[in-house]
Amino acid sequence: MKPELDGIFQKFPNRQREDLIPLLQQIQDDFGYLSNQIITGVGEYLGISVNKIYGVATFYDNFRFGPVGRYHIRVCHGTACHVAGTSTILQELEKQLRIKPGETDKEGLFSLEVVSCIGACGLAPLVEINEEYFTHLNLEKIKDLLAGFREKEQDTYES
Amino acid sequence: MDFKIEVNNNLISVHEGETLLSALWRNGFKVPTLCHMNHFSPTGACRLCAVEVEGKRDLITSCSYPVEKNMKVKTNSPRVIKARKALVELLLSNHPDDCLYCQRNGNCELQWLAEEMNVKERKFFGEKNPDYPDHSSTSVFRDPGKCVLCSRCVRMCEEVQKVTAIDFISRANQTKVNSAFHKGLNVSSCINCGQCIMVCPTAALLDISHIEKVQAALDSGKKEVLFFISPSTAASVAEQVGIKSQQDIAGIINAALKKCGADKVFNLGFACDINVLEESAILNDHMAKNLAMPLLSSCCPAWVQYVEEFRPEWLPFLAPSKSPQQIMGTLLKTHYSEKQKLNPAGVFSVAVMPCVGKKFEASREEMTRQGISGVDAVLTVRELFRFLRTFGIDLKSLAPLQVDEPFEKASAAAWKMGYSGGKAEAVALELYKMNNKGSQDGFKFSVSKNLAGKKETKIKSGKQQFGFAWTSGIEEADSYLQQIIEDNRTDIHYVEVMGCPGGCAGGGGQPISRNPEKPKNRKRLCQEMEKNAHFLSAGENLAVMDLYMGKDAAPGSEKTGEWYHTHFRKREVLK
Repeated sequence: MKPELDGIFQKFPNRQREDLIPLLQQIQDDFGYLSNQIITGVGEYLGISVNKIYGVATFYDNFRFGPVGRYHIRVCHGTACHVAGTSTILQELEKQLRIKPGETDKEGLFSLEVVSCIGACGLAPLVEINEEYFTHLNLEKIKDLLAGFREKEQDTYES
Repeated sequence: MDFKIEVNNNLISVHEGETLLSALWRNGFKVPTLCHMNHFSPTGACRLCAVEVEGKRDLITSCSYPVEKNMKVKTNSPRVIKARKALVELLLSNHPDDCLYCQRNGNCELQWLAEEMNVKERKFFGEKNPDYPDHSSTSVFRDPGKCVLCSRCVRMCEEVQKVTAIDFISRANQTKVNSAFHKGLNVSSCINCGQCIMVCPTAALLDISHIEKVQAALDSGKKEVLFFISPSTAASVAEQVGIKSQQDIAGIINAALKKCGADKVFNLGFACDINVLEESAILNDHMAKNLAMPLLSSCCPAWVQYVEEFRPEWLPFLAPSKSPQQIMGTLLKTHYSEKQKLNPAGVFSVAVMPCVGKKFEASREEMTRQGISGVDAVLTVRELFRFLRTFGIDLKSLAPLQVDEPFEKASAAAWKMGYSGGKAEAVALELYKMNNKGSQDGFKFSVSKNLAGKKETKIKSGKQQFGFAWTSGIEEADSYLQQIIEDNRTDIHYVEVMGCPGGCAGGGGQPISRNPEKPKNRKRLCQEMEKNAHFLSAGENLAVMDLYMGKDAAPGSEKTGEWYHTHFRKREVLK
């Protein structure tokens, strides 16, 4: 088992069933996602079947099973955003990035996630990218936004 | 305390604390359900057991609701029926609707419900489950498209078999039953016991069929096709077809298989006798040499696989004898082939078993010699019926035909292996005889300690006392053995473990039925049939003893080890 994981395990010395979700959350915070290997490790540590853990983890949207992109786009799908047309925004993103929610593109640049209300309904529709908020979106803005990110990446790569 | 409740204007007597469903069923009120299983925790997953209770705003699920005083229940009011019908229609909304091509056609609970609810058209069009069928296992086939998410398999796998090879993945309309990481059953912790198949209401879980293999071998004309039938298979055929136990049922199956083109049909009971002799010799040896105690029976492939996967530290306790099926396979490909001047590669051996795990066992690497496996195909009892049906054979009309030599006779021990506790008794008898100058006078085997699901007994032979125990169902076995090994109990010398609840009588390859009496019936039949067995004990089987003599060996010896012994190893799986 990875030594980093041992550090996390030490925070849960009781090895109880109740520790499962906090433990998974901690691992996701540190590693970004839950790999198969890590889930197996957690199973061995807590003495819970891998299958049970996978079942629990897939039940919650918050857990991811693959790495996210450099730009992790979280699309708000709360009621206000829905009314303001977040569906077309999401469609545009899917089309441009050629990925579905929950996926990461091949370059590892973008990943997409649909979340329920972010809590900024007055600014609908909005997305959150790497903890930065982009508000009152429309299709034009989305195109510019993605182009901007791509350009930035290109620059970093060339310099 | 009992009290009365009103159901459809009838007063019925109910026990305090029981669920409404159990009270209704006991009093003859039929309430449909897909997810309910006796002795399991209620889930209320399918909601088909909904009934109307006066004073309650919503319909309630009777399987998860306790009876209350002064309850007034309507089990079939128009409101209830409408709701149930809608539920079935919703279950059907993403079902493949391929009943005509489905193995469970005619024996499918969803089909029955649709008929019962008078569903005549597709009202809802749901998205079909896009997951591919899982062919990866050697024994169990899974078709997620036909799953109705009743959770019966999941609970069976977790609560009774303690394996948890499958569970619910994701949630809401994305929910699926699958193994971890969406990997196949072959890399999961599945032990191939087949109990999930036994509880599945639809065809989402089936056995991996070997019928085509058998048909191809029969058709090739180049292969010597040898069948062997386990005693418990004979019992379940008798039970299913309604043949009296006094008749030669193996003979009837023999007659049927000969009609299908089988070259020879043998009695697996012969190898059961060998297995009993081997295990009792190994037990004697373990006691004399102070080796690992208690000795654990190893004839159940699901149990062996469980130990290999979950309890590798118990491997030294497992008796290193081959199971009857593999003993027979080996004998056919070695001794028999030699005698009959056959090329082992040209012999096709088919086991007929009440078990799907035997398919896995037959595929084990250590069960092959020079690339030739002992057993080429394993038919479950279900497959046997299907196979015979394709030939249009009516078992009831056939006259029995003596099973073929040289493996035709078996002792009562062989029948005893068909149910939980039987093998322990057979092994105890052999051990008793070993320590009592070969005589079985005074042998008494009765339950002395009955601990819900685990039974113990002591037998006395000369100055020595031996402790025997038996248990079935992996969860029961595991918790019991953990106790025995933790407490370091030295009074128990042998533990018979059967993976399926009730032993092979409740095996994963038996005909599918929701009637809990069926396994008990099969056990009773086995017990009746053992009275007509050729010999009283395994050691009296002359042909078996001849085989030992031919090798100038005694049971348990090295000389017959290549035929009768095997080894087990730790298995890495997703668990």
